[in-house]
Amino acid sequence: MNEFIAKIEGHGSLNIDWGKNEVELNVFEGERLFEGLLVGRTAEEMHWITPRICGVCPTAHNLTSLAAVEAALDIRVNQTTVLLRELMQAGQAIQSHALHLFFLSLPDYLGIDRGTELAQKNPAAFKNALALKEVSDEIVQIVAGRNVHPTTSTIGGFHKVPSKKVLKKLLDKLNKSESAAQKTLDLAAGLDYPELKVDLQLVVQEGDSIVAVSSNNIKGRKESSIRNYKQDISEEIKSYSTAKFGRYKGQEMLVGPLARLAVYGDYDKKYKLDFANPFHNNLAQAIEILGCHQKAQKIIEQLLESELDVKVVKPGSNPSLEGIGAIEAPRGGLYHEVHLDEKGIIKQANIITPTVQNLTSIEKSAQALLNQTKNRSQKELERLLTMLVRAYDPCITCSVH
Amino acid sequence: MVPKVAIYDFTDCEGCEVKLVSIREKLLILEKRIDIVNWRLGQEDNKPGPFDLTIIEGTPITQHEVDLLKKLRQDSKVLIALGACATLGGIPAILDKKERAKWYKKIYGEEYKPRGIDALPLSAYVKVDFLIHGCPIDENELIRIFQELLAGKTPAYRGYSVCFECKQANNPCRIINGQPCLGPITQGGCGSICIKGGSPCYGCFGLRQEANVKGLVEVLQGLTDKKEIERYFTMFLSRAFDK
Repeated sequence: MNEFIAKIEGHGSLNIDWGKNEVELNVFEGERLFEGLLVGRTAEEMHWITPRICGVCPTAHNLTSLAAVEAALDIRVNQTTVLLRELMQAGQAIQSHALHLFFLSLPDYLGIDRGTELAQKNPAAFKNALALKEVSDEIVQIVAGRNVHPTTSTIGGFHKVPSKKVLKKLLDKLNKSESAAQKTLDLAAGLDYPELKVDLQLVVQEGDSIVAVSSNNIKGRKESSIRNYKQDISEEIKSYSTAKFGRYKGQEMLVGPLARLAVYGDYDKKYKLDFANPFHNNLAQAIEILGCHQKAQKIIEQLLESELDVKVVKPGSNPSLEGIGAIEAPRGGLYHEVHLDEKGIIKQANIITPTVQNLTSIEKSAQALLNQTKNRSQKELERLLTMLVRAYDPCITCSVH
Repeated sequence: MVPKVAIYDFTDCEGCEVKLVSIREKLLILEKRIDIVNWRLGQEDNKPGPFDLTIIEGTPITQHEVDLLKKLRQDSKVLIALGACATLGGIPAILDKKERAKWYKKIYGEEYKPRGIDALPLSAYVKVDFLIHGCPIDENELIRIFQELLAGKTPAYRGYSVCFECKQANNPCRIINGQPCLGPITQGGCGSICIKGGSPCYGCFGLRQEANVKGLVEVLQGLTDKKEIERYFTMFLSRAFDK
């Protein structure tokens, strides 16, 4: 099974040793060396270049770079910018989750090959998929200037801010598409998730902290400061992978929707999430689609009630020139760090992406699936393993940046 | 006969494929006119060539990708590059081969055996029949090019620069306002979307025919320093002057 896994972002494969009953995740994506190509570029070019790490979550990279540079330049953006960026983030999460759920993961559960076959198999669900894709693209288009790779955002604010008229129209559209988000969640809640039990650390960002809970006991929390992200999230280089493998305080970690819902707990508990079963990441994505959809509506209402402040905030008088940006991207905690010289040229950059952090737990979960699934043919096991990798929504492209 | 189409992605961000999915209902209509027999990102049931039309996104950065590209050229009647990584080398081409070697050591350590060789456009290795430019591509351009291909025509490149579309969009001119811009030498088709959003044009749609590069450089020298001009020209166009 050395062919690239289909329907995941980027190039990876599972290498299964049936004799030893062992599994390895091989990553073949070509190295682009973003941390190198950023050096010598201007601070203003960082949030322009880093979205090109990933075409599925470019807005998350854009926002994380802006946060890093603004920390380095001692800039605190105004409330309008905060809200518009949160709106971008919510739109980005729906874009990414809907694309993954409908086009990459759902076919596994419904027994079809490609997402567009859903148009025949379940026309109502497909209509919801298109409605969610359309409205989330429109959120990002309106606020960020383009649905893939933002054009309007800048250090300290925005080059351009949407008018209230445009925002009002967007809100009307969102009010109509909310039912599509709810129905998508109903669909995901009714899927038959394969059984699996894995002991993992679920890791999320909360305020200035990194919070970890166990998949078997989400009540006990471990916390550390985001400032120490580089020490606490270690990256291991493996001979069979162009991506590094991340660990939190030395142990396998799972980041993303399932981890966020475990830690934040901000969802309707009638949906029975099993945090020890990574397949439930797909259900968590559907819960987050609805959550982000409602959040987007709320943010626009707030924007409409407030005076839009279009001023771009200038750097502080004595900035440290070193900054860390940390944001919950669709697939989990994303970290950008930047060091600038006095002229605003990038001297050093470091990036840790969500999928880097998930790789160790994908391998661990795949191994657990091999150990726990009995009486299945090799072919059937391969199908389940591929489905598991997909359920994680890995972005191999991000992981090899 | 419904044309057999393959879509491949090499090293890149896959944002141009995301753009392809963003045409939504139109993708369904398109699927009725073509048979997508191979698309790793979209489906599991993938068949080998020959193909009538092969669309390739990304830069062939590893030896595996270079070999696959050569094979795909043999297996395809028409081969099309999708997006700036395939048409120009894209953002990864900011680093040249020598710089890559340095950064491999810094990022991965001394022991690591690099997979990537060099970030070059597809045309560095094979003949490419048409380039769909952009970082990312523009949906309307994509639809126009598909319509022309399906009608049996050879698609045409835009015969004007980004400046033309910038005027149509009523954007204030960056150069008149003292800000660097590569719009004058860059092929149109993007609708001047970056400038509309307040960002510069870095030329991701490639050089337009008969672009007056020398003239623009002279103008830019009056606006900014040599280093900044170099940064603009190496964002997407590092390999555009290779030939």
